[in-house]
Amino acid sequence: MIHVEGVRHRYRRDSAWALGGASLHIRRGTVHGLLGPNGAGKTTLISLLAGLFPVQEGHIHIDNQPLGNWRAQHPNAIALVPQGYAFYPTLTVAENLDFFAGVQGFSRRERAENCAKAMAFAQLDAVARQRAETLSGGLQRRLNLAIGLTGHPDILLLDEPTAGVDPQSRRFLLETVRQFAAEGHSVLYTSHYMEEIDAVCAEVSIIDHGKVLAAGPLDEVKHGKTLEQVFMELTHHSLRD
Amino acid sequence: MARLAALWKKEFLAISRDRHGLAALFIMPAVFILIMSLALANAFSGQQDATLGYAVLDLDGTALSKELDGSLGPLEMLEKRPPPANEEQAREQVLSGKIAFVAIIPEGFAKQIGTKQTPALRFLVDPAIPGMLRNGFCQYVEAKTIRVWLGHVLERLGQSAMLPGIRAVADQVGTPEVSVEAVGHAATAGALPSAVQQNVPAWLIFSMFFVVIPISAVFIGERQRGTLQRLRSQRVPFWLILAGKCLPYVLINQAQAIVMVAVGKWMVPLCGGDALVLPEGTAALTALWLVSLAVSIAAVGLALLIARIAHSIEQATIVGGVGNILMGALGGIMVPRFVMPATMQPWTRLSPMDWALEGFHQIMLRQGRIGDILFPVGALVCFGFATLALAVFLERRAHPT
Repeated sequence: MIHVEGVRHRYRRDSAWALGGASLHIRRGTVHGLLGPNGAGKTTLISLLAGLFPVQEGHIHIDNQPLGNWRAQHPNAIALVPQGYAFYPTLTVAENLDFFAGVQGFSRRERAENCAKAMAFAQLDAVARQRAETLSGGLQRRLNLAIGLTGHPDILLLDEPTAGVDPQSRRFLLETVRQFAAEGHSVLYTSHYMEEIDAVCAEVSIIDHGKVLAAGPLDEVKHGKTLEQVFMELTHHSLRD
Repeated sequence: MARLAALWKKEFLAISRDRHGLAALFIMPAVFILIMSLALANAFSGQQDATLGYAVLDLDGTALSKELDGSLGPLEMLEKRPPPANEEQAREQVLSGKIAFVAIIPEGFAKQIGTKQTPALRFLVDPAIPGMLRNGFCQYVEAKTIRVWLGHVLERLGQSAMLPGIRAVADQVGTPEVSVEAVGHAATAGALPSAVQQNVPAWLIFSMFFVVIPISAVFIGERQRGTLQRLRSQRVPFWLILAGKCLPYVLINQAQAIVMVAVGKWMVPLCGGDALVLPEGTAALTALWLVSLAVSIAAVGLALLIARIAHSIEQATIVGGVGNILMGALGGIMVPRFVMPATMQPWTRLSPMDWALEGFHQIMLRQGRIGDILFPVGALVCFGFATLALAVFLERRAHPT
């Protein structure tokens, strides 16, 4: 469904390539894990898929169409869930959901329906009238994810969605992501937690220095080892910035 | 339109819950107007309470010097205090701030009549007293001295020329009656503007430009939390995000204008100051609103540009706050333009706050019409749109999609 071929990207003309010819394929109805040390190029790749930067070199196709054309036909079909709490802390949960649904151009009725579904999906109904800034870390992560679902996306790009939450909330978030993919959607899931990738992803890509070092079904990539062993062998033990 | 409405609604909700930002936008300028209008009430009305004092030290002790001493009476800003015993005590009194000036009539003052020497007077002055007041006092004593001298010269001339009564003629030389009229376009012109009339526009402009603080707090917070990134991924154009901020903050600026006018009209009189007088007629009020709207466009445009450029809320607060103070200082908000040296006065035109003040003064002080505010309103609107365009350009350069 999503084909990334030989994509290169740098932030300035005189800077090093943040992505140096990355290629990967994400199938429909799967959660695809993206693993890599800090500075490996994960966020750059997610940003390109989200349309935050133009593709400088290489190709990104979705359903055999260039990314730009596909997005023009399906403007709300890709949702980015950034690593930070990308919502308004002084607005309530319901107001945040309503706002992010509103800027996607939905009518009042559609907005109400989408927000209700996203709220139910992330189990936020009980705190709908609570200001986001007063929520616990786990609830804030759930709100962050729920906002991503307000546009009924087909593709969900998750940038470390469980950072800083307790095990209960993490388990809930992972289950929610798995359920979302099971409905026939695609998820690109970045994380530093190997056990999360092991638990939720059917396929995985390991990226470093802007290049994909290994990609494929999880068991094939692991090849009888633990995911952490494979990761450390490919990315080496040296400390990263 | 639905997307813009969502942006407006979000912005209003966020602003209405930012109590500190609202306090800075409404309470600070209201208190400023109250304090400055009351503090400068006498300075603008010309009716000064006598809080400073001066004394005369007569070292000559002649009839002429006593006549000069007697002719120096209390002034609007200065009351006459008992004379010091000697020059040393006079210096002590000035040094301790008890009196502002001592006029010393030197020994031999009367003997100088009929000689080619001009009268020699000395003044001891408190260095903390403004030069304008010092010069005014010195000129007052000089004028009285010349009058007393002239009287005596004419008396001597009268005696020598056997022209009795010439002294009486000299005595009839009095102070001319002076009437002052403020020139304005409307029939109501004529009354001199009070402190509140001068201060409300000045501090209103200053506070309107302080919209940079809440705007940058919201905007940079959006960027740091990843909210802007999320909006961009939802294909919300940057110009639409800016448009979503413009209307709410322009409306807040207009609310500021209404509150500040209300403070000037009703609150300042309650505290003992003069009431703000608004121009009469729909045309004048429309012109006033146009100036206020133009100031909003300039203030919001500049605030959004600063928010776009700054990397942190602290940086935006410093750049915005200090920038406003500099624009205020240069633009005649803190120091009136006419007080500045001639070489500096043209530089005031560089500050948008000067254009804004010019617009408000045209309407509120000179009772001008819409034609009189075309330059300031046009300049402010162009400035606002230019800063907005620059913000969009910088964003497009950073994020070309």
